[in-house]
Amino acid sequence: MSRLWYVLPCLTVVGAAVAATHDGQASAQVTADTLRFVAHAEYIPVGMPSRARPLALRNPFEGNRDAIATGARIFVAYNCVDCHGADGSGAMGPSFQDGRWRFGGSASEVFESIYQGRPEGMPAWGGRISEEQIWMLVAYVRSLTGPDLTTENFSGAAQERMGH
Amino acid sequence: MQARIAVSTMRRGATYVLLCLPLAVGCGGDAERPTPGNARAGAQVVRGARIAAPRTGPAGEWEMPAGDYANSRYSELSQITAANAKDLRVAWAFSTGTLRGHEGQPLVIDNTMYVVTPFPNVAYAFDLTKIGQPLKWKFRPRNSQAAIGQACCDVVNRGAAYADGRLFYNLLEGSTVAVDVKDGTQVWRTRVANLERGETITMAPIVVKNHVLVGNSGGELGVRGWIAALDTRTGKEVWRAYSTGPDRDVKIGPRFKPFYAHDRGANLGVSTWPADAWKTGAGAVWGWLSYDPELNLVYHGTSNPGPWNAEQRPGDNKWTCAILARDADTGELVWAFQVTPHDMWDYDAVNENILVDLPIEGTTRKVLVHFDRNGFAYVIDRATGEALMAHPFVPMNWSTGVDLTTGRPTVVPAKATAQGKKVTNICPSLEGGKNQQPAAFSPKTGLFYVPTINLCMDFEARPATYIPGTPYIGASAPEYGGPDGYRGEFMAFDVTTGRKAWGIREPYPVWGGALATAGDVVFYGTLDGWFKAVNARTGDVLWRFKLGSGVVGNPVTYLGPDGKQYIAIYSGLGGDMGVLIAGDVSANLPHDVRVRGTTLPDIGRWTSWGGVLFVFSL
Repeated sequence: MSRLWYVLPCLTVVGAAVAATHDGQASAQVTADTLRFVAHAEYIPVGMPSRARPLALRNPFEGNRDAIATGARIFVAYNCVDCHGADGSGAMGPSFQDGRWRFGGSASEVFESIYQGRPEGMPAWGGRISEEQIWMLVAYVRSLTGPDLTTENFSGAAQERMGH
Repeated sequence: MQARIAVSTMRRGATYVLLCLPLAVGCGGDAERPTPGNARAGAQVVRGARIAAPRTGPAGEWEMPAGDYANSRYSELSQITAANAKDLRVAWAFSTGTLRGHEGQPLVIDNTMYVVTPFPNVAYAFDLTKIGQPLKWKFRPRNSQAAIGQACCDVVNRGAAYADGRLFYNLLEGSTVAVDVKDGTQVWRTRVANLERGETITMAPIVVKNHVLVGNSGGELGVRGWIAALDTRTGKEVWRAYSTGPDRDVKIGPRFKPFYAHDRGANLGVSTWPADAWKTGAGAVWGWLSYDPELNLVYHGTSNPGPWNAEQRPGDNKWTCAILARDADTGELVWAFQVTPHDMWDYDAVNENILVDLPIEGTTRKVLVHFDRNGFAYVIDRATGEALMAHPFVPMNWSTGVDLTTGRPTVVPAKATAQGKKVTNICPSLEGGKNQQPAAFSPKTGLFYVPTINLCMDFEARPATYIPGTPYIGASAPEYGGPDGYRGEFMAFDVTTGRKAWGIREPYPVWGGALATAGDVVFYGTLDGWFKAVNARTGDVLWRFKLGSGVVGNPVTYLGPDGKQYIAIYSGLGGDMGVLIAGDVSANLPHDVRVRGTTLPDIGRWTSWGGVLFVFSL
């Protein structure tokens, strides 16, 4: 039941998203700007180490299996799948399975990537879809990740070769 | 008839593998031998064959992306021969400073070499008259970073065109620039594509008279395909012709005379689609352009229709997956041939159209030869658009043949894709029997030298929603090696008989183009980084060299100021086949992209990313 509840509004919002893109209207769904508090472990702050601890946003759906399943459907409905590949295995856009996160892999960082977009072509979905849907995408995307293996050892059996 | 040909070709392929497998050492190892073709080497020479539009400039230069308007990629230079090719060595090399897929090729004009890199599309001009080939200039244009994520298949660029002291090329973000070759200053810059609607540009323009011809990419993002002519002096757009929509937009008027009846009728670019679907129906013009000065016609292909899910667009979807002949001055459509009507497999028809005159059934015909993604080698009358022949050149199972009375392929019902249904083992895969990597033609042998792909796929369509600036695909289609275990083959093909003279099987798709020379040596590079010189008549590998990175570009040849023949090639893995590797995703790990791991197994062991221009000489 709860899945159905999420998917229906999701499909409705696709239409709204398209409309919003066409006429450039900002959605009223956007809530207060908390994004400045997102931590970026990969950035070195200027000057003295900051004592103020950045506030990490918490995913209300962290580990919620229903939300992850709905996130998987949203992932397909909004065409995320065609950039990031089936099961987030990577294609036009980066893989979510290899444990390598260009803009950080914490829940808040992934939220920020989806909400405000990223410069190499990741669209900004904030204001286009609900924050709740973004959080469900975050839960789904983070559920796909695997270890970032430092070593690729090629000394084992190689694929059968032809030609040379 | 065609059905019989298709089946018999595949049977022959199977026979060779049986012969080959017990002799694994003979097939691989250092004694690299071509697989036998259907004809004895040299026995299938097409007498009287000629390149329709031979190069106009000096033989020692490379002035156009494909060497000439005919797209022959043939050079009269003959210093390098089958006898001395073994002595080739590196003359010089240059890092392009970019890492992604280096498709395309350099130009050489007046002892200067011009190189255009993948995004951010830097142009370099090398002074070939000086030791060390110092740069005359470097041109680094503004180029929107957002374009990276709008490019379906890596941020490639297929090269520049040249005319009257200016270099013309396209930027990924959708602009065309003209650069003064004297000093590298920008003469003009015109925005032609709309990035926000998923349009990018990767193709190499050509210059015809005082027009630069450019077309868009974005067949996977629901764009509407077009080709446009810009004034070489000002950059101002002179005309633009769309691939879909009303006749006015497609530039269909009284001069339009398609050969086949089903291509006649008003506004087929609208009526062969569900309402408004043509507006996001793709038909992008991202491939190579040819020009016949005698007929004054420009030939270009159009991409797959959008989305890949064919159930969302019942109808023929004109003029996607088509070859179009347009008046070079006005853009008016003169004829059209839809190679794959209502495409269900992502078989773009953008591969190069090679203009040659061939003796067919006793008379010399002005034809266009087109090795399509769908696996058929088409021979088409380039004045009328009549398909004269369509032989399969790779293993295929989606069609039993092309009906030459209608020009339409006969589809095997079991290989028709559908929503919610996983159709398995479709050959060739969506990469096609051949993709952007251009073939070459030698009038000396009458043979076409074709870099091919042997992949198959499963295909499951699902509903796609159009959201501007995101992919409009609606399918998942994992790819894997095709019949007989090899994934690519570089072959010499006689289009008049449909016979392969010889072939060299490769472990990976051959994604780099071909070069044919009057020395009877042909050149090509492989995805795992080998650059090879091959005997044009026998297929014997005469020489090979392991480059710094995989090859997805096209070799060219020129005479240096010292009078010596040089061969230039980009190494730089990427493009659709190498995009994940170029993104530094590990190649063969369990957690990696299972699909690509199956597509290009173990390639990370053999090569890595990095753009370097290599130049060879004796």
